[in-house]
Parts: sequence; C-alpha cells; structure tokens
Amino acid sequence: MTGEVVIEARGVSTRFGRQVVHDRLDLTIHRGDLVALIGGSGTGKSVLLREIIGLHRPDEGTTFLLGTDMWGADERTLAATRRRFGMMFQDGALFSSLDVAANVATPIDEHLDLPPDLLRPLVGLRLSLSGLPPDAGAKLPSQLSGGMRKRAAIARAIALEPEVLFLDEPTSGLDPITARAFDELLTFLNRDLGITVVVVTHDLDTLFGIARRIVVLGNGKVVADGSLAEVTANDDPWIQSYFSSRMTRPAHGT
Amino acid sequence: MTAPDPACRLQADGPESTLRLDGSWRLPDAVRCGQALDSVREGLSRVTAIDGAGLSAIDTGGALLAWIRLRTAGVNPATVALRGFDDNHGRIVELVRSRLDQAVGAPPLRPWRVLARLGKASADLGATLLGHLGFFGRVAVNALDLLRRPRSLRRRELFAQFGQTGVNAIPVVVLVTFLIGVVFAYLLGLQAEQYGANIFVVDGVALGMTREFSPLIVATIVAGRSGAAFTAQLGTMKLTEEIDAIRTLGLSPDQVLVMPRVLALMIVLPLLVFVGDVAGLGGAMVIAAAMLDVTPHTFVDRLHAALWPGHYLIGLGKAPFFALAIAIIGCRMGMSVSRDTRSIGINTTSTVVQSIVVVIVLDALFAVLFQRIGW
Repeated sequence: MTGEVVIEARGVSTRFGRQVVHDRLDLTIHRGDLVALIGGSGTGKSVLLREIIGLHRPDEGTTFLLGTDMWGADERTLAATRRRFGMMFQDGALFSSLDVAANVATPIDEHLDLPPDLLRPLVGLRLSLSGLPPDAGAKLPSQLSGGMRKRAAIARAIALEPEVLFLDEPTSGLDPITARAFDELLTFLNRDLGITVVVVTHDLDTLFGIARRIVVLGNGKVVADGSLAEVTANDDPWIQSYFSSRMTRPAHGT
Repeated sequence: MTAPDPACRLQADGPESTLRLDGSWRLPDAVRCGQALDSVREGLSRVTAIDGAGLSAIDTGGALLAWIRLRTAGVNPATVALRGFDDNHGRIVELVRSRLDQAVGAPPLRPWRVLARLGKASADLGATLLGHLGFFGRVAVNALDLLRRPRSLRRRELFAQFGQTGVNAIPVVVLVTFLIGVVFAYLLGLQAEQYGANIFVVDGVALGMTREFSPLIVATIVAGRSGAAFTAQLGTMKLTEEIDAIRTLGLSPDQVLVMPRVLALMIVLPLLVFVGDVAGLGGAMVIAAAMLDVTPHTFVDRLHAALWPGHYLIGLGKAPFFALAIAIIGCRMGMSVSRDTRSIGINTTSTVVQSIVVVIVLDALFAVLFQRIGW
C-alpha cells in the first residue's frame, strides 16, 4: 500500500549504556495501514514506539510523525501534533484518581472547544466505540477487569479522533476470547474510522488475524517487513522459530 | 491545514426538509459546527434527510453533534435518510447513528455531593478505627503465640528493623531534640534571668524534656519515618503479591512481617527517647553555658539534685505504647492497600496523620492518668 507517509524513522540509533538497541534503523509507515511490530525481548519495540511519539530521544537520527520532526520541531508544533495521535500504554496508564468517563474527558477538555451539549455524548461515543457499556464510565480504573481497563485506555487514546493510534501489547494478559475481540476493535478503528494503527504485539493470533503489514525488529535493524506471507518466507532463524509453532498447523493464516 | 468552514442549510420540500452539510465537520471545528446548526434550529424538527454531498471531511465528533441536535429537536434518527455522502463519510455518519443511544445513555460526569462525601468519610473513619482494633487483637494473639514458641520469631527481620527504625534514626533524633533543647532552655532562660533564677532553667528543661518533649518529638519523628515506611513496604509487597506468596508458602504474614516490626519498634523507641533526652539536655547545657552563666559542671550538679528519676522513667515508659500504636497503624494500613498504586500513597499519608494524632491523644491520656495517681 502506498500513500501519504505518516510515520518515518530515519537512521535511528539507540543505546542503553553499552547495549545497542537500534543501529541506524529506518522505517516508513503510510496512512491507513495496520502495522504490527514484533521482535524478541530487548529488540526495542516499545522504545521505538516511544521514540516515534516523542517520549524517548534517539541517540542518533530522528523520527517524523504526521510530518513533524519529533526531535527538531518547536514546542507549539509538537503540541499540535500530539493532538493528532493516540497512544495506549501497556498497562493502560489510566489516571487512577479519575473515573473512566473523566479519564476520557481529560484530553477533550484540555484540547478542544466544544459546544456544551457535545461533551457528554462524545465521551459516551468513545466508550461505545471501544466496546465498553455506558455504565463503565462511572467506575474507577481499579474497579475494572484487565480487559475493560485496556478498553478504557483505548477510549482515552481515541478521544480526540486521532489519525494514528499506537498500542503497546494491547492483548497481553488477556484471555484469548477477549484478545480476539480486541483484534476486531483494532480492525474496526482502522477500517471504519480510517485510523492508522501501529501495534507492538507478541500475539500470533493478532498477526495472523488482522495485521496487514508486519515489521520484525532484530539486531538493531528491521529484519523483515511486509505481508504475513512475505515475512514468514524470510529465512531469518528467529523469524523461523517464532512462526514455526503455528506454521505446522494446516489451514491457518493463509 | 486549511479546511473549509463548516456550514449547513435547510432545503424545504413541502413539510419535509433536507439538512445539507457543507465543508469540514470535524472535532476541532465543533464550535462552528454548533453555530451553523444553531442558525437553522427552528427548522431542524422537520428534517427527514441529510445530504452530505458538500462535505469535505467529517469525523465521529462532527457526525455526533449533528445527530444530537436532530435528536434534541425531536427527530427520530432512525428515520432520517442519508443522501449524497461518499463512502467514507457515509460509513462514519451511519456508525455514529448506530451508537447514538449508547453515547447518550452514558451516566453524567460525577457531580460534587458534599453530604454524601461527608457521610462516606465518616463511615470510612469508623471502619478504619474498627479495623485497627481488630488488627490489634491479631497482633495480641500472635504475641501470645510468640511467647509460647519464641523460636518462631524471625530474628533476621527483627534485627534488620532495629537497624532501619533505630540506628538509622539516631542522627535526625539527635539533631531535632538538641535544637529543641536549645530553644527550650533559651526561652526559659529569658524568663528566669529577670528574677536572677538562672539555675532553675535546669529544673525546667530536665522535667519538660525527659517527661514530655523527648517522647513526643521522637515518637512524631518515628511515625513519619518508620510508620510511613511500614505502610509503603507492606503496601508494595501487597501490590506485587509478595504477601499472597508468603501465605501460599504456608507462612503467616503476621509472623513474618508484622510481629518483627511491632517488636522492633517497641524496643527501639524507648532507646531513641533516651538518646533524645541526652541530646536535648545537651542542647540546653550548651545554651546555659553560653547565655545564662551556668557552667556545664553546675548544670550536671543541678541535674542530679533536681531531676526526680520518676520523670524520665515515665517518659521512657510511655515510648513502648507510642511505638505499639505507630507500628500497628503502619502495618495495618500497609496490609489494607488495595490493588491500585494510588492507594499506597493515600495509605502512607494516612498512616503518618493517624499515628501522630494517636500519639498525641495517648500522651494526653497519660498526662491525665499520672495526674490522678499523683506522679
């Protein structure tokens, strides 16, 4: 798929002490894509996500998000860009002192000027789009189950109708049924709302089920990049062992 | 990005009208969308169709606003026909229509209800106090158990707590009580000097410091230091399921975690109070020599004559009770942390406040008690 470039990492190098995580890594993602980012532990998937959204400065190179140089632009441009993407952190990172509705309302209150009769239904719509029942809005994050908490985190991430949505391991710790419902939710957000989705995941079912493009990180670089068929055809040993458990099963993910 | 302004107009067709949406209907334009809809408010109730041919962009926010205004005007959204939308726009408008009931059905953002909060706070306070009482009972039972089987005492943990709550607290205890001694002697000296009764400063400082100030101040420091630490330590262990692990391994968290802390604090606090006594008198001695012409030699002589042993024994004797209260509150608040990180902060704050209040209340009770029995 080609189209407008929304995410670009250019020559990104990252080091923690003597450990090299990224070594002049390049990555480009186009609008409307649904990309899964995979790789072994310590290959810097989450770090790359944090570098793209401007939370962690790469040691070399830079990242562009929606046309903004996240490490060179001035604070005003950055603030404008931050309104145009959403991020779901691994454990939700909901504000524990606010109920779910207030969590979702926080970015809306902060960034938008709304007609007074729109705020409440808008929060309700966000809850509904992320698959939460209306009465979940009045609950505190500590009163929610793990799956509900992740849904609430998505509701907050899409509050401002972002153009790009990042998710860090959205299905980790969920039962398979809830995890599949989550995959459907991501497909829905991507297809029906036209949101570009970038998801870090270890969930093979997510890869087989919904990812249109898979990017594999390893040795500080992008090892493989393409559709499921293209990536599984790659003879990199890590990729082979990663997929081997599922490849032996017939009629799956083809 | 320059988007065309949102606009809308009504096309009347007999009794029915079509709502034409033009330009960009997106969340950042919501206020102008609202104004555009306001300008056609009178006619909204007759709308039977929406025409989206003139839209340059629409998102769920813009679509939601249009549906809500129509609904408010009395139109049933399900009966409205959609015309002229391109595929993407039509899908979004249709999607929002299907979620409209759920969106509007969301409960209101929570109002601030003073009376309800007051009631809940009172009930919570009652439950907390009852809980402390229950926890005290648990500690007592464990203590009896410990008397019967002294070997079950976790000595390693006990000694670790001696270090953390006792030895490490000495510098701050010395500093604070020394300064209090200085200030106290100085204030007394200002008064005593007017009557040429400088030497009586020793009597006043000795009584006040050993019987009241040192126990109270040291207990306050320990409540802030060790009480808070107990809550934070046990609370974190609760959160990371370490306490559940202890229980699963067939051990009792009370024996492994709580009893060593309670015992350590009850032993350590009187010792710290003694350190505080000495430091406080030391501070007084320095100021007496510097400003009141009372030499250290005279100071110590007068101390022997004026300080009735009962005073400092009472001061030291109160300390274990303070320690028991602080340790019980600290441990219990730690064990009752719920599973979100926020509650560690809340409980730690609460521990410090509760233990300081309880220490002062206990001290007042002791004062009344000793006055009644004439000590």
